[in-house]
Amino acid sequence: MLGTAPVSLASTIPARGARAPYRRPGREALPAPSCWSVLEPLLPKVRKPVQYVGGEHNQHVTAWEAAETRWLLCYPDTYEVGQPNQGIQILYELLNERPTALAERAYAPWVDLEELQREHAIPTFSLETHRPLWAFDVFGVTLPHELGHTNLLNLLDLGGVPHRSVGRSTEDPIVLVGGHAAFNPEPLAPFIDAAVMGDGEQVTLEIDEVVRAFKREREPAGPLEGCDDAEARHELLRRLAAVEGVYVPAFYAPRYRDDGRLQRTVPTEPGVPALVPKRTIQDLEEWQYPRKQIVPMTETVHERFSVEIFRGCTRGCRFCQAGMITRPVRERRPETVQRLVEEGVADTGFNEVGLLSLSSADHSAIGPIARDLADAYEGTTTSLSLPSTRVDAFNVTLSNELARNGRRTGLTFAPEAGSERLRAVINKMVSEADLLRTAEVAFAEGWRHIKLYFMVGLPTETDEDVLAIAELGIRTYEIARRHGHANKVTLSVGGFVPKPHTPFQWAAQDPPDEIRRKLSLIRHAIKDHRGIKVRTNDPEEGVIEGLLARGDRRVAPAIERAWQLGARFDGWHEMPTLELWRQAMAETGVDLDWFSYRERDQHEALPWDHLDSGLDAGWLWEDWQDAQADQQLDDCRWSACYDCGVCPGLSIEHDTGYTGGFSLPVVPSRLGGSDELPITPERYASGP
Amino acid sequence: MTQRYRIRWTKVARTRFISARDLTSVWERALRRADLPIAYSEGFTPHPKVSFPDALPVGVSSTGEYAELTFAAPIEPASDLAALSAALPAGMDITTYLEVPDGAPKLAKMLRATLWELAWPPVDQTELGALLSTRSDELLAADHAEVIRHRPDGDRTIDVRPAVLALAATTRPGSHARDAHTVLRAVLRNDGPTVRPTDLHAALSRGDVAEPHAVLRCVQGAHEPEGVRDALGGEVEPLVPDVDAEAA
Repeated sequence: MLGTAPVSLASTIPARGARAPYRRPGREALPAPSCWSVLEPLLPKVRKPVQYVGGEHNQHVTAWEAAETRWLLCYPDTYEVGQPNQGIQILYELLNERPTALAERAYAPWVDLEELQREHAIPTFSLETHRPLWAFDVFGVTLPHELGHTNLLNLLDLGGVPHRSVGRSTEDPIVLVGGHAAFNPEPLAPFIDAAVMGDGEQVTLEIDEVVRAFKREREPAGPLEGCDDAEARHELLRRLAAVEGVYVPAFYAPRYRDDGRLQRTVPTEPGVPALVPKRTIQDLEEWQYPRKQIVPMTETVHERFSVEIFRGCTRGCRFCQAGMITRPVRERRPETVQRLVEEGVADTGFNEVGLLSLSSADHSAIGPIARDLADAYEGTTTSLSLPSTRVDAFNVTLSNELARNGRRTGLTFAPEAGSERLRAVINKMVSEADLLRTAEVAFAEGWRHIKLYFMVGLPTETDEDVLAIAELGIRTYEIARRHGHANKVTLSVGGFVPKPHTPFQWAAQDPPDEIRRKLSLIRHAIKDHRGIKVRTNDPEEGVIEGLLARGDRRVAPAIERAWQLGARFDGWHEMPTLELWRQAMAETGVDLDWFSYRERDQHEALPWDHLDSGLDAGWLWEDWQDAQADQQLDDCRWSACYDCGVCPGLSIEHDTGYTGGFSLPVVPSRLGGSDELPITPERYASGP
Repeated sequence: MTQRYRIRWTKVARTRFISARDLTSVWERALRRADLPIAYSEGFTPHPKVSFPDALPVGVSSTGEYAELTFAAPIEPASDLAALSAALPAGMDITTYLEVPDGAPKLAKMLRATLWELAWPPVDQTELGALLSTRSDELLAADHAEVIRHRPDGDRTIDVRPAVLALAATTRPGSHARDAHTVLRAVLRNDGPTVRPTDLHAALSRGDVAEPHAVLRCVQGAHEPEGVRDALGGEVEPLVPDVDAEAA
């Protein structure tokens, strides 16, 4: 065929031994080759090619030779899912502000591009300059959940980096993970070099300093110049392990009992801590990031300017890993929130603002924050949103305020469990009366659709508890109908997956058949109520997540095998990978029943016991016992401390209710069964 | 007091991969960054009043995109549209603007013809150039040129010939022989059934010419004997580019 372009290959990945020139600090470095000229002609052949081109507003490009340390930050999923991630954007901005560092971003290529990349020898690349993964010093990967593990292995392999840590040398990047799933990195232990637990801001800068100093010492005339490669890499890992909050799995080993249960994970390297603490930044005001947020040129899952209004949560929902591991609560000042929003909206052009946290309506000044932002953007096309877990009338008031510029369409509430008893077990302090009253207020004030989030498979759950979900849905729907025949109620029901560092970490997970049976109980119970919609996930979806969440190092071979068999994008409906996983588990001898569907007792060590989330192990066990006795625990933001263990040792306590500026009394949120919730709580009406 | 402007803009480099579906929000965010008073439609989800006469396929470059912007308040076009151009992603630039008086014909009516450019990499140049010339002459001499367009929802047969106004195959020399490209420029009518460069390629290829490695929408406007006259700027882009002038 005339005019056929010769098949072009990206420049060959240099062998180990020839990569060092690209990695040298500053002007000594050979610039890493860009794969853009080979990639670009292939892009018309793939789905959504714009996700691979970079060039967005607020991207940061630094010349290769202008940096001493070079980071590739990665969210191991597609661009549309990963780009809005705040963690990556915070670290991206922090590192790029540093005169000696360079940070670029990478996401997982969809399978169509991966195939072309392998055909044309295109490595995992950065979006900004399309430089290859193998040339960077640090591959910083966020693991917000467990379903990116196979993608992580794939990105390493595609990027010219051995996927097992033992195969790497100083000519490979340090593979560093963080994020919520990094609180149990054991299933990934053979593949990663280090994990960071907790807030990433400070520790990332400290790691950067370690890498920078190490690289300088490896330069000619430096103290490590002639050092043997394996020794030098060991030295770098030792220095990383010395940074508080950094866990180097290679320096620890698990000991198992004869019956296969874990006895203990112990340090094997002199000088490393037996218990690795998480990092906590003390004052959110000192870390006002990300300010220069990336503005995508294509649809993503959250297209908005996001400001984290507080970090941490004290609600104590026993199923919620995020709530447990991000304690204590640290709030941002209302005036800072307002300024960040105004500057960010002007800078990015986003027409939506998200006020982020685990339960944003719980900020002690959320009323004034919402009111002032609603005032500032009234009559404009800028809209406001906040995720909230509160189930009370105050939430409706707040939503009314935020919806000033739009129509009152849908509200979401998360009672999580159907019966009062089970809500006590999970410590979700909301009564049925609260919920129905809230629905009444919401529909009366013109909202048209209420979505209720529930889980099945919770500890101690009976069929009665499951059926209570349907009953609550029916009662809510009766209220909805009284206010308008077109009003709708949606029940969204997911299967519960127990997570590390929570009081439910000892619980047995329900197998998919049991989840399926429970979901069908709900469907059957509401079948005569056509106005209620039920949305469920595939019960199989929690299987891989559950295994990886609480697995230990013996699960690693199954991850590796599943990836080799072709598992990618394990969280995607389009990619049914469970059969590959079942095959991988069978081949590697991983017993899913034993890891996931078995209740643990107090004497069994857990794979994350040597990783300290701040929560006292004794307290977690007690809280698990309380849960099984249907005992609730108050929110310690408003009531007495119950010694979960997080605050002592830090020089802070929950940092809320600022004085000066907006002075607001910190009053208890009136949850937990009160029938007399004011529609406009006092604290909402308050001001200076 | 609203004000309407028509602009010509480019969509090259990385921005050629932005889909038509994503384009509205890219423009809206740039308008907001430049702080210009774009007018919004009424209704539940107001949209900025930025209209594009037609969609450019993803991956195709263009120096001949057009748009009509309606502002809710008067702007200072020279400086404000320059600011907007700067706020757009790199590769998207506003190159011409024109205020629209009341009663002006619709923008689409001013864009009756398009000058397209299809380019092949520097291989088989003599043969390919000659073949494209012959096939072009044959196509222009024919009454019909039916091709099958493959779509997910089924194949369709379309006649390319009525849309073709002019064709010219040339070679564009590069600074080195290896940079030289085989180029086919075509003037296609916009006011009949849509015929795209891919359809034209299908009509000329007959299975032995590779797909062009680059497609460019150069300019849109009125067809003239020597090329296409830009609907806004008024200058004529010649069908056969002046190679010496380009080199200089």
